[in-house]
Amino acid sequence: MAVVWTFARNSVIREMMFRTNFLVETLASMLWVGANIGFYLLIFQYTPSIGAGTGWGRYEFFIFLATSLMINSIVHTIFMPNADLLSERIRTGLLDFVLVKPMDTQLLVSFERLDLSTAGNFLVGVVLLLFSLAQLGWTPGLVPIALYLFYVLCGVAILYSFMFSLAATTVWLGRNQTLYDFWFYLTIFGRYPMEIYRGTLGTPLRLLFTYLLPILVVVNVPVRFLVRPLYPQSAADWLLPGFALLATLVCLWTCRRVFTAAIESYRSASS
Amino acid sequence: MPTSAMIAIEAYGLTKHYRVYQKGEGLWASLRGLLRRRYRLIEAVCGIDLQVERGEFVAFLGPNGAGKTTTLKLLTGIITPTAGTARVLGHIPWRRENAYRRRFALVMGQKNQLWWDLPAADSFRLHQQIYGIERKQFERTRDELTALLGVRELLDRPVRELSLGERMKLELVAALLHRPEVLFLDEPTIGLDVVAQYNIQQFLKYYQEENRTTVILTSHYMKDVAALCRRVVVIVAGRIVYDGSLSGIVDRFSRYKVVTVVLGNGQPVPSLARFGELVSSQAPRVKIRVPRPQVTETIASILREHAVQDLSVEDPPLEEVIVEVFSQAACPQSTTRGEAPAENPATA
Repeated sequence: MAVVWTFARNSVIREMMFRTNFLVETLASMLWVGANIGFYLLIFQYTPSIGAGTGWGRYEFFIFLATSLMINSIVHTIFMPNADLLSERIRTGLLDFVLVKPMDTQLLVSFERLDLSTAGNFLVGVVLLLFSLAQLGWTPGLVPIALYLFYVLCGVAILYSFMFSLAATTVWLGRNQTLYDFWFYLTIFGRYPMEIYRGTLGTPLRLLFTYLLPILVVVNVPVRFLVRPLYPQSAADWLLPGFALLATLVCLWTCRRVFTAAIESYRSASS
Repeated sequence: MPTSAMIAIEAYGLTKHYRVYQKGEGLWASLRGLLRRRYRLIEAVCGIDLQVERGEFVAFLGPNGAGKTTTLKLLTGIITPTAGTARVLGHIPWRRENAYRRRFALVMGQKNQLWWDLPAADSFRLHQQIYGIERKQFERTRDELTALLGVRELLDRPVRELSLGERMKLELVAALLHRPEVLFLDEPTIGLDVVAQYNIQQFLKYYQEENRTTVILTSHYMKDVAALCRRVVVIVAGRIVYDGSLSGIVDRFSRYKVVTVVLGNGQPVPSLARFGELVSSQAPRVKIRVPRPQVTETIASILREHAVQDLSVEDPPLEEVIVEVFSQAACPQSTTRGEAPAENPATA
């Protein structure tokens, strides 16, 4: 834990050394978030909800958006720079120095860098969440809040697993920029409520991105504890959170296996 | 014979092969490569047998691509071998046990492990935590090493603002903070000026003698090797072709000696050419290269036939012999898989 803390401390010192760069990046990130919120505000000028009877009204959806912002902010602040660094280290052979350190290699490469420019999005997400809850006039109980936070962490863990599994494949591919793009396009599907995936095109997508590549559970499951509380609905409603927990464990396990296999196949670029 | 307690490193039949994509030249070949790939097998290390005693300072010599660094990477557990086995301090390196990784260090002249944008002091603090070094011991070791290398005042400057020599000294400090029992050095003086090279040589010599650390060094600078190592292992095309003392290389591989003759006044200089290959001729000094078995006879003939003011016999420069060793060993006839090391003072 002390090592992770020192990584964070060193990253903060490093970011502060390039003050202007940090401010410009933060501003750009905030603008992107602002544009996103503005876009959905525009859409909700024309419709009271996303699809009739889905339950995704303006503020329900903004809770969804806030949760998506928070999860993505955590992933982009902590794991994206480290996944990039892992790919780069594999390509240049600088992973050598990580492999000789007496600590778990995956832990070391997962937390070394922070990109604080996207950390502000987390705060925007929190403010948007609280504002939307207030607009709905709903104060969630301790259990839904605890479950919400737990499944937010599960969502982060799923995205982390995807990202690091893809980054580790650099060992075999040499260069995997395309896979990063693939990751980006893939996660786009998780940015919307799963109810929109209906019909002949939507249903297969929903099944694919729920059960095979569980991107849809990342935001949808935690949000349901706040927006569409499971209590006191039927026991069948627990199936999705149950599956999300299983999916999280399977994703983390798979990521560990891919990472270990990648390290075994690591060739270390010649010096 | 050294006992197992005295052995720091042992390797038997250590082998590493790579399969690499062979791309043809031009656009058409690249397009063809998309559909049908051709691979080539690179035999980076082929059956290396090696024993290093605790406290030895051993150099790996060899031309570029000979397999020196790959051997180092196998011994540090960075890569996994295709075949063979190795133990360093009783551990199999590629199992990457933390108990092993706490006991060795690696310094690579061409790769940086310090945080580029931060002062070295911050990277050192991180090392302290990763290696679990007790605070007082950490501060004592850091102060001692930075004083020895004369870099104490550089600790608070961002690494990117330092010269290559200063950076390398701080890399060495970082590597030694946890007092490793085995130190792997991969071309630590590459690109450094002669002053920085000399300072690092002197530091390594002092440190190794004081701590009896086992050191494996790869370097292209013969001055590093001559100053630091009593034992050299010559690796060519992934195989050990020589294992012994540095002076032994000259005895074993040099087929010539250089005879320098200072002739008396009025002597015809070119007449000495019949005794051997003329290296240089600047009257009255003549240098000839003479086959080793004929040196005594040649000297006797020169002294008999010419008025000689002065005469000396020397081995050819070490660099020249090394080039000869590399080129001889690279020739298929002279390299045999699993060839026994010629001489090993450690095991003799």
